[in-house]
Amino acid sequence: MNQRRWLSNFLSVLSPVVLTLLLGGIIITAIGEDPVLTYSVMIQRSLFSYSGILKTLHFAAPLILTGLAIAITFKANIFNMGVEGQAVLGAFFAGVAGFSFTRLPPALHIALCLLAGMAVGVLFALIPAILKARFKVDEMVVTLMLNYVVVEITKYLSQGVYKDPASGYVSTYAIRESAMFKKIFNSDITGFFFISLVVFAIMIVVFKKSKLGYEITAIGLNPEFAEATGMDVRKKILAIMILSGAMSGLAGAGFLMSEKYRYTLDFSGSPGIGWDGMLIALLGGHNPVGIVVAAVFYSALKTGSDYIGLFTNVPKEIVGVIQGILILFLSVRFIDSRFKVLGRVKALVRSHGVSGSGE
Amino acid sequence: MAVIQAVDLTKKYGNFVANNHINLSIEQGEITAIVGENGAGKTTLMNMFYGLQRPTGGELYIREKQVNFNSPLDAINQGLGMVHQHFKLVPSLTVFENIMLGVEINKKIKLAKNVRVNSPIINARSERDEVQKIIDAYKFELKADDIVENISIGAKQRVEILKMLYRNVDILILDEPTAVLTPQEVDELLLNMRELKKKGKTIILITHKLREVMDISDKVIVIRRGKVVGTKNTAETNPTELAAMMVGRDVILDVNREFKDLKSNRVAYKVTDISTETAPGKKCLDRISFEIREGEILGVAGVEGNGQSQLVSVLSGLMVATEGSVTLYDKDITNRWPERLRREGIGIIPEDRYAQGLCKDMTLGDNLISGYHQKKEFCRCGLLDKHNIAKNRDELIEQYDIRISDREGKVSQLSGGNAQKIIIAREFDSDPKVLIASQPTRGVDIGSIEFIHKKILELRNQNKAILLVSSELSEIMNLSDRIIVMYKGKIVGEVEGREADSSQLGLLMAGITPDGRKKAGEKN
Amino acid sequence: MNLLNSILYDTIYHSTPLILAVLGGLFAHKANVLNIGLEGMMLMGAFAATLFVYLTGSLWLGILISILLTLVLGLIFSFFGVTLKSNFIITGLGINIFVQAFSSFILKFMALSNINVSNIISVSALKIELPVIRDIPYLSSLLSGHTAITYLSLILIPVVSIIMFRTKFGVYVRVVGENEEAAKSVGISTVKMRYIAVLIGAVLCALAGANLATERMALFTNGMISGRGFIAIAAIYCGRAMPVKSTVYALIFGLARSLAINLGLFAGPVSGLFEIVPYLMIVTVLFAVSAFETSHSRIRGFKNG
Repeated sequence: MNQRRWLSNFLSVLSPVVLTLLLGGIIITAIGEDPVLTYSVMIQRSLFSYSGILKTLHFAAPLILTGLAIAITFKANIFNMGVEGQAVLGAFFAGVAGFSFTRLPPALHIALCLLAGMAVGVLFALIPAILKARFKVDEMVVTLMLNYVVVEITKYLSQGVYKDPASGYVSTYAIRESAMFKKIFNSDITGFFFISLVVFAIMIVVFKKSKLGYEITAIGLNPEFAEATGMDVRKKILAIMILSGAMSGLAGAGFLMSEKYRYTLDFSGSPGIGWDGMLIALLGGHNPVGIVVAAVFYSALKTGSDYIGLFTNVPKEIVGVIQGILILFLSVRFIDSRFKVLGRVKALVRSHGVSGSGE
Repeated sequence: MAVIQAVDLTKKYGNFVANNHINLSIEQGEITAIVGENGAGKTTLMNMFYGLQRPTGGELYIREKQVNFNSPLDAINQGLGMVHQHFKLVPSLTVFENIMLGVEINKKIKLAKNVRVNSPIINARSERDEVQKIIDAYKFELKADDIVENISIGAKQRVEILKMLYRNVDILILDEPTAVLTPQEVDELLLNMRELKKKGKTIILITHKLREVMDISDKVIVIRRGKVVGTKNTAETNPTELAAMMVGRDVILDVNREFKDLKSNRVAYKVTDISTETAPGKKCLDRISFEIREGEILGVAGVEGNGQSQLVSVLSGLMVATEGSVTLYDKDITNRWPERLRREGIGIIPEDRYAQGLCKDMTLGDNLISGYHQKKEFCRCGLLDKHNIAKNRDELIEQYDIRISDREGKVSQLSGGNAQKIIIAREFDSDPKVLIASQPTRGVDIGSIEFIHKKILELRNQNKAILLVSSELSEIMNLSDRIIVMYKGKIVGEVEGREADSSQLGLLMAGITPDGRKKAGEKN
Repeated sequence: MNLLNSILYDTIYHSTPLILAVLGGLFAHKANVLNIGLEGMMLMGAFAATLFVYLTGSLWLGILISILLTLVLGLIFSFFGVTLKSNFIITGLGINIFVQAFSSFILKFMALSNINVSNIISVSALKIELPVIRDIPYLSSLLSGHTAITYLSLILIPVVSIIMFRTKFGVYVRVVGENEEAAKSVGISTVKMRYIAVLIGAVLCALAGANLATERMALFTNGMISGRGFIAIAAIYCGRAMPVKSTVYALIFGLARSLAINLGLFAGPVSGLFEIVPYLMIVTVLFAVSAFETSHSRIRGFKNG
């Protein structure tokens, strides 16, 4: 029974992926290139070589975290669209902690920066969280808008107070060496990847075995029931958003400390590690194992795309195109449960001819 | 002439028969009232008249011509219109815009002499004039220009009626029209109905308010459990007879019931002057007070919609009381949230089991612990003990005779009765001090009903206090030690269980107090 | 003062694409379709217009093709959102990401870092000076010297008002959004209305994008929309989807941007913070509305839907 459902879930993810790759292939053909070659280069370089797979895993680390950050909220029917902003803000202040302190032992410095990033992510996520818990403000639009506030704030700060005068473009100081994650195994990967795996392991326990996970599921499926049977929904909303903000901040911080080392205006890439996380959460069905698989898959596409320029004329932006199309197809799977429940109720009311009370 | 005739009209939903071979006829130019309890099948019948539902059997004749309606538009074309209890109005539009919805008049542009073309712009002035014309013709109190979201409910209803009249319907069905009106608005509506009758319209009034039936109708048809149980000329009957027909005489009294004297028992649960509102200024509960002793079942009788749901919501912590207090063994628990109430020992069987009592897409085991999942046996250090949860589930399945093919399956696979038993199992097993049971056997099969009643009586024998809210009068009479009746948010009567009489209760439920005229709840 | 003149002119200058996007997005909002895809549609408009001006050499042909392509994008959004009943937010997101990536993709493929069509279009020649107004001080900075699409956007404000409130179409769109049951009961097709509403938005967003890219700068670069689509959504929310009110908010946000740019010379990077104004405003409005509603409700707990 469970296996059949797992299979149908898997297939319903597989078909959008296949469709998308097909469409991507059509676009590649339209510009006169070979899609099979393009895709095979992407996969080979990212998954089938020693340095490639480690590079893929390295870039997958922050995506696993942002994916989890989104999944934990979506499971409770909370739409935290601000993961991007929380991650960027977390990264920025992790960076500030990274270059502001000197003469700290690496372990301490790294821990400090990561905590700074997580704390900032949490605080920023608390704004929509409190608005929702206390005033029932719709978090979708609020979180979406706050992303742009983050963009402006970081732009302002990196052009002003924290600007690195030595660099030619807008950038903050680089973090001190003691705050950087060291590359290991002679490759791109760092200790940060293992941190993200630890978080992943914790999240598996949370989702499947913890009281909070049980409550998250209940709130997502039937919040009225959750409140009526005595789960304090308002408190849980805060808890969920705090966790989400923490993971987002951690993602951004770790990305800064293991790859970028300084904050620039294009820090998060295009469309951004938060939005990548959205795609990954959707692909992974909002559960931790699926998210890790999706993160590795997507990261493979991204790192692989760096190499297609060597063999074809296909611009690496094809990955972004694939991402957009994939999100589009996946959006149908995740029919907003809000609308779905409302539709079901309406259908029920109509079919039983009950317009309220009295028959 | 019989303007509507139903012959063996039947509607089934799977095995459930909502309308069972209905035979009736409505006379032209008369006001006919269709009365019955909740769940009797009145609205289903009207939905078939109006084209919202297709009959599963039987025939419908309008003006002696057989009809098959596919949608309300078909019905309107045959001159039959319906005003629902929940209005289909657009709040931000004006009265005339709502009435002309779908049949707007466009401004015409003169291209040349005698050549006029429709422009896309609405001719607001013509529309307003047309609507004003029929407002005056029927002497309704309405201003065509008013914006619908600002007018009173009574006025909104008049707009809905005019919507039908504008489309030339001459058979009008009104579904519980006075349920949402103040007494003055009710009087205005009755006046309007008389006016419509004078103009030759035929009116069908669906209601359970016997006073209005006596006031305005020419004929009364009583429906009970999907069948017509009687047709009377209004002049030849009286509320008592109607109430008896509505409620039926098959009240099974449990012969084994012993009525104890409870006066010496401790008061466990006390509710004092509880009020609340559905919107600022709209009271739905008005100073409700009662107390329940240990070992007592207090039944709350009443037709649905008189505040019972809101009372249960307040007592379950899901609605805020604007005044009043609730105490549990002298401990104040007014306006506490559900989590706290559970910890204090209040068990709740909610009215809507799938909305508040259960999570359909979760397993039996998970549902059986919800609300109590932080207890030590289920949860250590924030982690759930799956083994104990499964053990608990297995025990409760045995104890409460829950029938399911797959123990690990979801609640959605259970029948209504068994799903209700899950709630019962969960709440009873936690050994509550007070149980609030709202419509505990609604939609439940006979076998499960008996089981649930037995369990409730067991709880009472353990000296717990129980509040039983039900619109099934027989259930109330079977189980309660004392009965209070709610009408329009107030308590209008109290009766000892052993002295309760169904027709007397039926009258109270319809707002008619023993001294003949309706006094209860009159002043709003 | 030159600064004041500059601020006045720039306000209209920066508001135009917002006004167009707002007027277009109003219909979808009234029909209860959350069109998060405005950003992507504006980007498509800008990109397609510039690209086809570049390829065909004609301004009007470029704009025409851009409208057509944005309409296709609108159809895709409607198909997923209305017919397949997908999650609007995620669908809109997908559209935005897709257009962004696709435009970069084509640019890279053509080995261009941006599309420069200043050899085909002379930006200054597109500016129209109004005969009498050009001589009135300050008013001339406000109203004269703008492009054709700018004047079109100003004319559209009353036009959209009339359509929204005085035509059958406008009434039906509002009915579909406010009470689907009422719409169905009189035979209005909610699906059709929603499609048309989204497509109107597509057309106007195309014009907005064209204005931004071809008319103003004769240039297309990556990320030139930079959130204007979301600012338009913010304006619609704050103005409760009423044409005049929402346009006022669009003008306020245009003023904010104008101030940010003009005062930048004096205040430095701080002026960039003006850009936050629209977003903070929408959060405040949402908060105020929800706080008001919750304070009046006696019901606790959340419900789905």
